[in-house]
Amino acid sequence: MTAPLTILGLESSCDDTAAAVVRHAEGAAPGILSNVVWGQTDLHAAFGGVVPEIAARAHTEKLDYCIEQALAEAHLSLRDIDAIAVTAGPGLIGGVLAGVMCAKGLAAATGKPLIGVNHLAGHALTPRLTDGLSFPYLMLLVSGGHCQFLTVHAPDRFTRLGGTIDDSPGEAFDKIAKLLGLPQPGGPAVEVQAKSGDSGRFALPRPLLDRPGCDLSFSGLKTAVLRTRDDLVSEKGGMTKQDRADLCASFQTAVADVLAEKSRRALASLSAEPLTAFAVAGGVAANQTIRYALRDVADEANIRFIAPPLELCTDNAAMIAWAGIERFRLGLTDDLTLAARPRWPLDEASAPMLGHGKRGAKA
Amino acid sequence: MPDPTVLAFDTSAAHCAAALLKAGRVAAALVEPMQKGQAERLLPMLEELLAEGNASWSDLTSIGVGIGPGNFTGTRIAVSAARGLALGLGIPAVGVSAFEATAFGRARPISVAVPAPRDHIYVQSFDASGETEPRLCPRADVGIADAMSLCLEPRDLVIAIAQVAARNHKSAAERPAPLYVRPADAAPPREAPPAILP
Repeated sequence: MTAPLTILGLESSCDDTAAAVVRHAEGAAPGILSNVVWGQTDLHAAFGGVVPEIAARAHTEKLDYCIEQALAEAHLSLRDIDAIAVTAGPGLIGGVLAGVMCAKGLAAATGKPLIGVNHLAGHALTPRLTDGLSFPYLMLLVSGGHCQFLTVHAPDRFTRLGGTIDDSPGEAFDKIAKLLGLPQPGGPAVEVQAKSGDSGRFALPRPLLDRPGCDLSFSGLKTAVLRTRDDLVSEKGGMTKQDRADLCASFQTAVADVLAEKSRRALASLSAEPLTAFAVAGGVAANQTIRYALRDVADEANIRFIAPPLELCTDNAAMIAWAGIERFRLGLTDDLTLAARPRWPLDEASAPMLGHGKRGAKA
Repeated sequence: MPDPTVLAFDTSAAHCAAALLKAGRVAAALVEPMQKGQAERLLPMLEELLAEGNASWSDLTSIGVGIGPGNFTGTRIAVSAARGLALGLGIPAVGVSAFEATAFGRARPISVAVPAPRDHIYVQSFDASGETEPRLCPRADVGIADAMSLCLEPRDLVIAIAQVAARNHKSAAERPAPLYVRPADAAPPREAPPAILP
């Protein structure tokens, strides 16, 4: 048996400053020795969404403290760490840079290897950290910034089956919350409202279900919610709490329907592949209605369903440390020229779906 | 007590600048002008600088870092690297503003002007009793010709940062943070949420 690997992971690509230590010996289950996540919700609350400059400022001044806490909780010092893994993109570039530069400083100072990790790979490899899942598996990555179906073949090999052609569901949840006067982040706020709402009251569209394939769209759904709200407001000068709850429930069900139907198609298209599971990750996978809808799809297809625990679905650094362990085992490390990338598609072979020009493809 | 060995760097404007100070003398200094790419270049450049100055990371007794004011992303690049290095080496990192660096070793009172975007300047004044709060003002509002000292060129700036850090490292209680002067550009949402009826 080989010696265990102990890797420090850093994450700062959106509005969570995170550091974690993960240890793994081949043949044994990995251990999360610490997993510190410092959210910034309060800093952004007044602005109705994440402000990149505010996020970057906070990451710069908090990340080293966060690392110290992660090491303390793991009862380790930097000497005990074998390598440093850091999110090198995609994400809000100011935050990604803060993480990458701090990691480079640590790596140079300690002489430890540096591993740049794709944030999406962190999410996509999480089922291997939590459940020891074998390749290949189908992953639905669904978060505030992303929505895509991937076949995960290896720690560094992903095939995209489809994805959103406009907004991500997480963005839509945030926008709906804003339209309805609910707090950010919108996902949990809309979910709470939806619990007391009638999901059948408002007929909202299920975008792209009439087209084959696994691509998704959420922009039109957002607009439909806006129109419904405006109709209610012009009819009675505002909306009742029940109107709001019903609209939240109708919206959430529409998102769940779309994700479930596209998941069904993704699984059908892969019926010839020896998939080990259908796994889901990303902040939107924390939504219970969506989670149950996806689990039902997996049950219908008679395939194992894996949704990591909530704290490992949303942004965290344990997934970055784990992806670092996987890359390190393949001999994939980076030097001190490692670049921070605002855009970094996991599947660089498929034709870009979103984004172009100087900054390159987003997905 | 060995003589202090200070590594200082600055990426607050269109350059990567670094200096190594050994026992108060400049052992090596490097400046590379660049509009972008500081994040990729900084650490390799620091390693080159150490090699040129016959020093290694473990010889350092403190880090000096330029905190601006200047390009927000640029100051964060240097500050984040400095904080990572300080944590990894177990030595202090000292944040030094372009104002302090420029005023260092010069007669007071003195006012220092640092270029800002859109025809503005950042200004801070120092006298025997202390210093004013740094502020942002239109270039035209201030007679910079006589009363002001313009911020140092990158090479002199980073050497002065190293010298200030060498002098201050024992009293540096706080970790370095960028000196932004300007608040983050962010406005509350324009559209009011709908009225919620009883």
